[in-house]
Amino acid sequence: MKKKGTILIENVVFIILNLLFLSVLVLFLVNQGSGAIVLEQTYAKQIAMLVDSAQPVMLIKIDMAKGKKLAEKNGIDFNNVVSISGNLVTVKLSEGKGYTYAFFNDVDAVPYPEEGMYIITINKKEEVVANE
Amino acid sequence: MNKYIKDKRGTDKILSIYWFVILTLIAGGVFAMVYVFYGAPYDVREIESEILAEKIADCISSKGIIDSEFFIDGTFNTKIGENFNEKCNFNFNVEEGYGDTNEVQYFYEVEFYTLEDLANPAFNFYNGNSNWEADCFIKKENDKEYVKLAKCTEKRFYALSGEGNQYLIKILSVIGKSEKNVK
Repeated sequence: MKKKGTILIENVVFIILNLLFLSVLVLFLVNQGSGAIVLEQTYAKQIAMLVDSAQPVMLIKIDMAKGKKLAEKNGIDFNNVVSISGNLVTVKLSEGKGYTYAFFNDVDAVPYPEEGMYIITINKKEEVVANE
Repeated sequence: MNKYIKDKRGTDKILSIYWFVILTLIAGGVFAMVYVFYGAPYDVREIESEILAEKIADCISSKGIIDSEFFIDGTFNTKIGENFNEKCNFNFNVEEGYGDTNEVQYFYEVEFYTLEDLANPAFNFYNGNSNWEADCFIKKENDKEYVKLAKCTEKRFYALSGEGNQYLIKILSVIGKSEKNVK
């Protein structure tokens, strides 16, 4: 009886170690896929492509729930995650510069956050007339 | 028989050590693959060049009729190319990270062919960095160096002028941006 018990414990330890190994592997893969660097690039390029194909007086809604979660985890205010300056879109989900990508469509694109989403309004660029 | 059982237990332990050596090797392989996969940037240049070609086409003709600005007194307006970027709302400025000079990463060429002569364009114009054009005509193999070449899209369609003349319009759009899209 004693002998059989020893074999069972060995098997249990073996199975636990295997499960532990698999869990670490899965966690690693999940973390890599939702890492800040990968997500910043994905969102920036996605937004740039959407703005490129958009036309004035359009509203673009982008689900950024994953990005919001990650930004909050990294202490970044969700209101500052997406910024558009000229024809450059920058997405920042962690401390650092963020990821910037250019779009060629010369429109007035303004992003604003709304409950885990970002809404981008596309309008015709107005000529800035300097006050004389 | 007893001796055989003892030997079997020993083999089991050796097997489990082997098992963990194999698992470590698998883990190493997975880590390496993940590093290579996520380390490489997403290549969106093909989509970008398709969007550019679509935008140019939309700018040239609407509902199959070529914009009247392309013609002056029945002939092609040769100055259309000069302000085509403004007309179509194109801004070819790019972010930092494309070489020392931040050279233009876009190029497009538009050619108009009459149905009588489909070999020589009746009118053409281009804009952007013409250095990228050559990349479109290089036979691309599945090689690391070839992947870094610019991505091109060629679009063809027929449209009518205001007078009812039919033209074949060829658009070639090219996107460089290899620094941000290829490792």
